Amino acid sequence: MIQKKICMVGAFGVGKTSLVARYVHSIFSEKYQTTVGVKIDKKVVQSHGEEVMLMLWDLAGEDALTTVRPAQIRSASGYILVVDGLRRQTLETAIDLQRRVTEVLGSVPFVCVLNKADVRETWEVHPGELEALVAQCWTVIETSAKTGAGVEELFQTLADAMMQEHHAADSTTRAIAG
Amino acid sequence: MSTAPSAREPLPGEGSNGDPSSGYARLRELLIGPEQARLEELQRRLDDPRVRTEDLSQVIAEAISLRLRRDRSLQHALNPLVEEAVRISVARDPSILANTLFPIIGAAVRKSVAHALRGLVESINQTLERSFSLESLKWRLAALRTGKSFGEIVLTHSVRYRVEEVFLIHRESGLLVGHVARAGQILRDSDQVSGMLTAIQDFVRDSFTAAGGEELQTADMGEFTLWVQHGPAAILAAAVSGAPPHELRGLLERTLEQIHRDFAAPLNAFKGDTSPFAAAQPLLQGLLLGRGEAAAKPRRRGFFLAAAAALVALIAAGLFWLIQHQSRWDKLLLRLRSEPGIVLTSAEESWGHYRLSGLRDPLSADPETLVRDSAIDPARVTAHWEPYVSLHAKFRAERRFQAEKDALEQEALRFPLNSAQLGAEQLIRLDDVEAHIVNLQQSMVGQRLVIEVRGHTDPTGKEDRNETLSQQRADAVVKALTDRGISRDAFRTVAMGSREPMRRNVPAYLSDLNRRVSFRVITEGAP
Repeated sequence: MIQKKICMVGAFGVGKTSLVARYVHSIFSEKYQTTVGVKIDKKVVQSHGEEVMLMLWDLAGEDALTTVRPAQIRSASGYILVVDGLRRQTLETAIDLQRRVTEVLGSVPFVCVLNKADVRETWEVHPGELEALVAQCWTVIETSAKTGAGVEELFQTLADAMMQEHHAADSTTRAIAG
Repeated sequence: MSTAPSAREPLPGEGSNGDPSSGYARLRELLIGPEQARLEELQRRLDDPRVRTEDLSQVIAEAISLRLRRDRSLQHALNPLVEEAVRISVARDPSILANTLFPIIGAAVRKSVAHALRGLVESINQTLERSFSLESLKWRLAALRTGKSFGEIVLTHSVRYRVEEVFLIHRESGLLVGHVARAGQILRDSDQVSGMLTAIQDFVRDSFTAAGGEELQTADMGEFTLWVQHGPAAILAAAVSGAPPHELRGLLERTLEQIHRDFAAPLNAFKGDTSPFAAAQPLLQGLLLGRGEAAAKPRRRGFFLAAAAALVALIAAGLFWLIQHQSRWDKLLLRLRSEPGIVLTSAEESWGHYRLSGLRDPLSADPETLVRDSAIDPARVTAHWEPYVSLHAKFRAERRFQAEKDALEQEALRFPLNSAQLGAEQLIRLDDVEAHIVNLQQSMVGQRLVIEVRGHTDPTGKEDRNETLSQQRADAVVKALTDRGISRDAFRTVAMGSREPMRRNVPAYLSDLNRRVSFRVITEGAP
C-alpha cells in the first residue's frame, strides 16, 4: 500500500486537531501535541481505485513561541494549511507558513482550509482575499470541524492530488530510465 | 562642477556672434544639465567609500534576513568566517567563550557521562551474571564446539528476552516500510507508532541542548524495551520483552547496515511505496530472536525475587544475631570492668567463644553469675581469675567485719564448775567481746546482725542439768552485755549442754575449758 505523510499546519487555535479528530479516531491523546509538538494519526482512503494510507502529522500551532521544525515536515507528500475564518491574522500566518514549508518540501500538493464555515456570516476573511489565493493556484476548501462539512472532501482532494503527483513522478523516472 | 558655470555663462559678444557650436553647447546644457549634475553626485557617492559604508549599514540587516529567507547560501558563506572568528576569540581570551558556554556545559557533560556509564553498567551486569552461571559455562563450551562466537550463542540461547516486533522506518518521513511481529502485537498501531517514534526522536534531539548527533536509543516500558538503531536513511526499532543481551544491539546495527547497502536506492527515492521493501522482510524476521516464554519469565523472576529476599533475610538475621551477641558481650565486659574486686586484663572473642582473664578479689561478685546474667552461654566462656586483695572501700568494710566476726567467734568466757557466775577475771574478756560486738554493729550495713550466745558445760553431770546450766550461762553473758548498753535484740541464746565440747577425750583439767559461753555471728538478709 502507498503511504503518504501529510502535515497539518496553521496558526494556534485554528482547529487543526479538531479537523483531524473529525476525520479519524485517534489512539494518541492530544497531550502529545503540547509535549512532543506533534500527534500522528492514520487514515486509509481510496484514490482512483487505489488504497492510500495517510499519515496525518498534526503539528503544534504556530505562534510566537513555536516555529515549524523542518525535521517534522520533511518528506511530507502534502500538507494542509488551516485558516480560521474568524481571524484574518491566521490567513497571513498561513501565507507565511506556505512559503516556509515550500522552502523545506519544495512544491508539493497542499490544500488551504478555511475552517469554521458554520459561522461563515461572521468571518473576518473576505472572499476577495480568497480569490487572490485561488488565482495563485491554491486549492481552497471551506470546512467546519463542528458540523463535519467539507472534511472528507478536504482529505480526499489532497489524497488525489498526491497520488497524481506520485504517478507523475513514477512516469517521469520511468521516462528517464527508458 | 567648477567648469559648469563658466560653460553656462557666455562671454560678452560671443552669443551675438551666432557661433553654432556655442549654441549647441548651450542647448545641450539646458537639456541635460540637471541630469549631469545628478550623475556627478552619484559618481561622487560611489567613489567615496565612507558614503558607501554608511549607505550599506542602513540596509545590511534587512538584506541578510531577506537572503536567509530565500536560501541557505549565506550560512554556507559565513560558516568559515564564524569558525575563524570563534578561533580568534578563543586564542585571544578563552574565558569569554568559556563563560558563555558555562551554563550548558555541565548538562552536556552530565548527559555524556551518564550515557557512557549506563552502557558500562549494562555490560558489567551482564558479564557478571554470565561469568557466574552454569548456563554460561555451557554456552562457552557450545561456542568452542561449534566454532561460533560466544555472543552468537548467547543471542540464540538466552531465555531472558524475546524480540517481539521489529520495525523498519524510513527516517525522513517516519513512514513504516517494514514490520514483522510474533503473534500478538505489543504496540498498538505500528504505522502510527513508527511516526511518533521519529517525531519523539526529533523532540528529544531538540530538547536536549547537548544532544549533538545523538539519538534516542532505548525506551523502557515495564517489561518491554524498545531498542532503536539509527542509520542515515532508515531506523530499525525492536520491541523486546525481558532483558535483551547487549549482543542484540550489535546484531541490530549489522542488520541496519545491510539494509542500507541492499536498499539504498529505494530508501533514497522513497515516495510512500513500500513494495520494494518486501525483500527486506527475511532480514527483519531474522531479528525475532529469543525464546523467553511470557509465562515462564515472571515465575523465574519471582523465584529470583524470593531467593534474593530469603538471602537478604538470612543476611539480616545473621547480622542481627551478630549485633545482638556483640552487644551482650560488650555489656558483660562493661559489667565486669565496673565490678569492684574484678580487674579484667584481657578479653578475647573468636568464633563465638570468649576468653576472659584477670584478677579477682574472693569477696567480689561471682563472674560466672555475671556471665549467666548477660544471657551468654557460660559454656562458651573460659575464664581465668588470679586472686588478689582489693582495696576497694566495699571490701575494706567487709574485711573488717569478717575480722571482727572471726575474733568474736574465737572468744570464750569461762565458768567455774557447776556455776553460771562470770568470774572477775572474765571481765577483761567481756570487754573484748563487747568491743567486737560494737565494731560488728558499726560495720553492718543493710543486714541484721544476730549474735548467737551459746552456753556450754563440761561432759560431767546429768545432761538435763547441763542443759539448764548452759542456758543460765548464756543468759548471764547476755545480761552482762546488755548491762553494758548493747540492745537485747542483738542476742539469741542457745543452750548447747555438753553437745559441743571444744575437744573430746582430753584429760580432765582440759575439759574445764568446756565450761564456757561462745559466740556465733549470724547475718540475716533483710533488716
